[in-house]
Amino acid sequence: MAENKNNSAEKAKASSILEIRSLQKAFGGHVVLKDISLSVERGNVISIIGPSGSGKSTLLRCASFLETADGGDILYDGKYAMHDGVYASKAELNRCRTRFGLVFQNFNLFPHYSVLRNVSEPPIIHGVDKETARERAMELLKKMGLDGKENAYPFQLSGGQQQRVAIARALALNPEVLYFDEPTSALDPELTGEVLKVIKQLAEDKMTMVVVTHEMPFARAVSNHVIFMDGGVIVEEGHPEAVFGNPTQERTRQFLRNYQR
Amino acid sequence: MSLMTMIIKMSEGLSKTCAIFFLTLLFSLPLGMIVALLRMSKIKIVSAVTRFIITILRGTPLMLQLLAVTYGPYYLFGANVARNKLIPVVIAFSINYAAYFAEIYRGGIESIPVGQYEAAEVLGYTKFQTFMRIILPQVIKRIMPSVTNEVVTLVKDTSMAFTVSYQEMFTIGKQIANSQTSFMPFLVAGAFYYIFNVIVDWVMGRIEKRLDYYR
Repeated sequence: MAENKNNSAEKAKASSILEIRSLQKAFGGHVVLKDISLSVERGNVISIIGPSGSGKSTLLRCASFLETADGGDILYDGKYAMHDGVYASKAELNRCRTRFGLVFQNFNLFPHYSVLRNVSEPPIIHGVDKETARERAMELLKKMGLDGKENAYPFQLSGGQQQRVAIARALALNPEVLYFDEPTSALDPELTGEVLKVIKQLAEDKMTMVVVTHEMPFARAVSNHVIFMDGGVIVEEGHPEAVFGNPTQERTRQFLRNYQR
Repeated sequence: MSLMTMIIKMSEGLSKTCAIFFLTLLFSLPLGMIVALLRMSKIKIVSAVTRFIITILRGTPLMLQLLAVTYGPYYLFGANVARNKLIPVVIAFSINYAAYFAEIYRGGIESIPVGQYEAAEVLGYTKFQTFMRIILPQVIKRIMPSVTNEVVTLVKDTSMAFTVSYQEMFTIGKQIANSQTSFMPFLVAGAFYYIFNVIVDWVMGRIEKRLDYYR
């Protein structure tokens, strides 16, 4: 019986694309993440909100292996990328990397590549043939509302357009989950809408996403799970209507009150 | 000696001047990249040693280095001085210029935002692919003005080969000046270097323009 129970627990875990358990991270004595746990199921859109310095971005960067965490577990599709603070082999980490895509605050497009090449080259280096990669890139650019821009260079585009190229680039590798690290924070206010619209559209297409954001109405409307972080811990989490509409923690209320002004 | 004869005699040395110039670029440009990468090595001893060598190469006269490479083997091991002086001259120039190029490369590499590396890493580029496809092309564009500076300096520095009596253009000019007690050969040499550098400037300008398609 006990064994059976264990088995089903294992299976339940396996259905999460990403699972993080008691993740810890400090930057030279300053603890940024204390014991963070979270699980991302297929088709879910999770928003992470919280004040600057609360560890939201660090959490995403640890999940994308851009920061080295100090302790805890990171699992992709039930397989350990990090087990109790010890990272898996390089090959295993590379396999995990194919499961997620990351959209940066500052886009980080390759300035010397055309829009088309920005989106088509990553699949090509992964072995997709040029023609297929190109067709798929064109398709994605069209979906992002960027048809006609394929031969432009990033510097010729607005911030909102650049961010949409970056989303297309991340999607071109067919990730199972897409991470957004404050995708609209570097944009002029009038340009955030076009990027949020694209993310919303992806949510409607059942793309699994984790979005670190300061756009509260967007987080409320698009996500089905909201995490409020402060001081390196998850203070409160739950359905957006619960967290935004009826927060149970004083810290959450205080944070949201500041945002409504 | 007529001016025409002077020009013709000195032109004969021009091919050797060009040999120093092109061979030095051929060797020092890639060597500089290797030195830059060693200088940026995470292994402390490697970067420290490289840094020390760079300070010596940049902190002592090129003329001294030319003498050391050409005659050093004779004084140290009693080896014969190279028959063809082009070899020691090009070695000395290449090593010296590699040190300067290394520092230019390093500045260029360090100026590339860390986000470029992060984006490439997340997209599954290997370290080598990241460097060759993403970083290096952007570095080349950024360092072109500094490289042009060095190349222009190199044209003029080739004249230093006279210290080891390598028969390039300036050495011949100096000999004519001595035998004819005339200042004319120096003016001719100046004109040669100037024209050479006008061409270098034009070529480098073309390359910079070709890299101007993005910002």
